Amino acid sequence: MISFFANPARFMAHSAWAMPTFAVAAAALFAIGLPWGLLYSPADYQQGETVRIMYVHVPAAWWSLGIYAFMGGASFVGLVWRHALADVAARAAAPIGATFAGLCLLTGSLWGAPTWGTWWEWDGRLTSMLVLFVIYLGYLALWGAIEDEEKAARLAAILCLAGLANLPIVHYSVEWWSTLHQSASVLRSGGSSIHPDMLGPLLTMAGAYAALFAALTLMNMRAAIFRRRVEAARLRGAS
Amino acid sequence: MIEGGWGYIWAAYALTAAGLGVLAVAVALRQRHWAQRARDLDKAGRE
Repeated sequence: MISFFANPARFMAHSAWAMPTFAVAAAALFAIGLPWGLLYSPADYQQGETVRIMYVHVPAAWWSLGIYAFMGGASFVGLVWRHALADVAARAAAPIGATFAGLCLLTGSLWGAPTWGTWWEWDGRLTSMLVLFVIYLGYLALWGAIEDEEKAARLAAILCLAGLANLPIVHYSVEWWSTLHQSASVLRSGGSSIHPDMLGPLLTMAGAYAALFAALTLMNMRAAIFRRRVEAARLRGAS
Repeated sequence: MIEGGWGYIWAAYALTAAGLGVLAVAVALRQRHWAQRARDLDKAGRE
């Protein structure tokens, strides 16, 4: 599978139909998940209506971690096997992961204000999530700061792999330290403890975020391949 | 149970819609720009 997509022409042919398919799936899942979470799901017995923020906050949190893990895998493949598209994939995913992480922090703050009585607390979960967001920004800045793409890819991949250490800290922070943030209620040993009426819209929104990530990453990868083609032609013309 | 809070809920959904919407439009425009440049290049190469 990895070597199958090492050929950019093959990737462009397959992504031409995969990208709109994921985009339509994302639109459909958002069209179902947003009104389901916002209007038709039940209120929580403790958090009342504010629990509805969960349907935009939790998928953003899950996928900001998932996207970073994807970038870590792609960076590893790029570093070890010099895969032609691995670095392109890691770089293409980064702005999407950064946006999800930023939205997770902002919607979390909007959820914290009515439920905890504070917009921000320097506890383990919130701080490690902020660190993840900063790592995303650092990764993007590193790519932007180095002109030589090969060197930028290598250094960005090393930074990305080092940043992987933060993922278990984010996930287990609610167990390791006393924190305002509640512990995991879906991705935990012993199975989900969330009510099925809430799990439905939550998983639908998680699917919507995943499909959006896939569509936008493929778009970014295609843009990068088109750009390389244009720049290669410009260099050939200049020499 | 916490009462109300709809202002926070609407703000979170609006922020999410705006953030994801801007991201999607920016990515789509960037892809269209480079695809167009590559097509122009192919056309110029054929002529």
